[in-house]
Amino acid sequence: MRWIWLAITVLSSTVGDLVSAKGMVEHGEIEHFKPRRIARLLRYILTHRLIVTGIAFNALSFFSFLALLSVAELSFSVPATAVSYILKTALSQWYLGEHVSARRWLGAACVAIGVYLIAV
Amino acid sequence: MGPASIELRNRIFITLLVVSNTLGNLFVALGMNAMPEFHPGRILEYAAAILSNGWFVGGVALMIVWMVAQLSMFTWADLSYVLPMTASSYALTAILGKFFLGDKISLARWSGIALISFGVLLVSETPPWTHSLPPKEEQ
Repeated sequence: MRWIWLAITVLSSTVGDLVSAKGMVEHGEIEHFKPRRIARLLRYILTHRLIVTGIAFNALSFFSFLALLSVAELSFSVPATAVSYILKTALSQWYLGEHVSARRWLGAACVAIGVYLIAV
Repeated sequence: MGPASIELRNRIFITLLVVSNTLGNLFVALGMNAMPEFHPGRILEYAAAILSNGWFVGGVALMIVWMVAQLSMFTWADLSYVLPMTASSYALTAILGKFFLGDKISLARWSGIALISFGVLLVSETPPWTHSLPPKEEQ
C-alpha cells in the first residue's frame, strides 16, 4: 500500500508544479509588488485554469502524503519523495521548454541525494 | 529591471520561500502536537479546536505566503531552478531541530546538509531563466 501512496504523492506533486509553473509563465514577469498588483495576482492565481488545477494536484499530493505517513515510517516517506526532484527536472525540459544544463542536473541530483540522506 | 535588482529580487524571494516553508511546516507540526486525537464523530469540535490553535493558523498563513511567493517566482525563473534552490529548507529544518528541539544530527544527516548546500551552490550558478524567449511582460 505504501508504494501506491508514494506514487500518488510524487506524481500529483509533479503534475501540480508543472501545470502551475506553466500557468504562471503565461502571466508574464512580475516586477513590482504594490498592493494593487498583489490583489490582481491573487485573482489571476484563483481563476486561471492551469494554476487551479496545479493547486488541486498539490493538495492531493499533501493528503496522499498524510496517508503515506499513516502506513509508513517518516524515515521511508520523506527520503522516497526526494525522487520528485529528478522527475520534475526531467519533465520541465519537455513540458516547459527549460534548458537544463549539466551543472543544473548535477545540482538537482545532489539536492535529491541530500534530501534522502537527511531524512533516512 | 537592471541585473543588480534582478539578482536582489531572486535572493529576497529564495530567502522568503525557504523561511516561510520551514517555519510554516514547523508551526503546523507544533499545532498538530497540541491537538487531541481525531474522532470522526467529533469533527465539528475538532475543527473548532484546530481553528483556534494559534500555531496551526500561523503555519497555514505562512504556507499561503510560500505558495504565492513560489508562484510569483515562476514568472521569471525556471521550475528546475526554483525547486533545488529552495531545498535549503530541508537543511534549515534539520539545523533548527538540533538547536530548538535538541535533535541529534548523525553523520549521514551532516552529509545530506553538505550535499544539499553544494547542490544549491551549483544551481545558483546557472541562469534562472533558460526558456528560448525572455519572460513575457506582465499583462
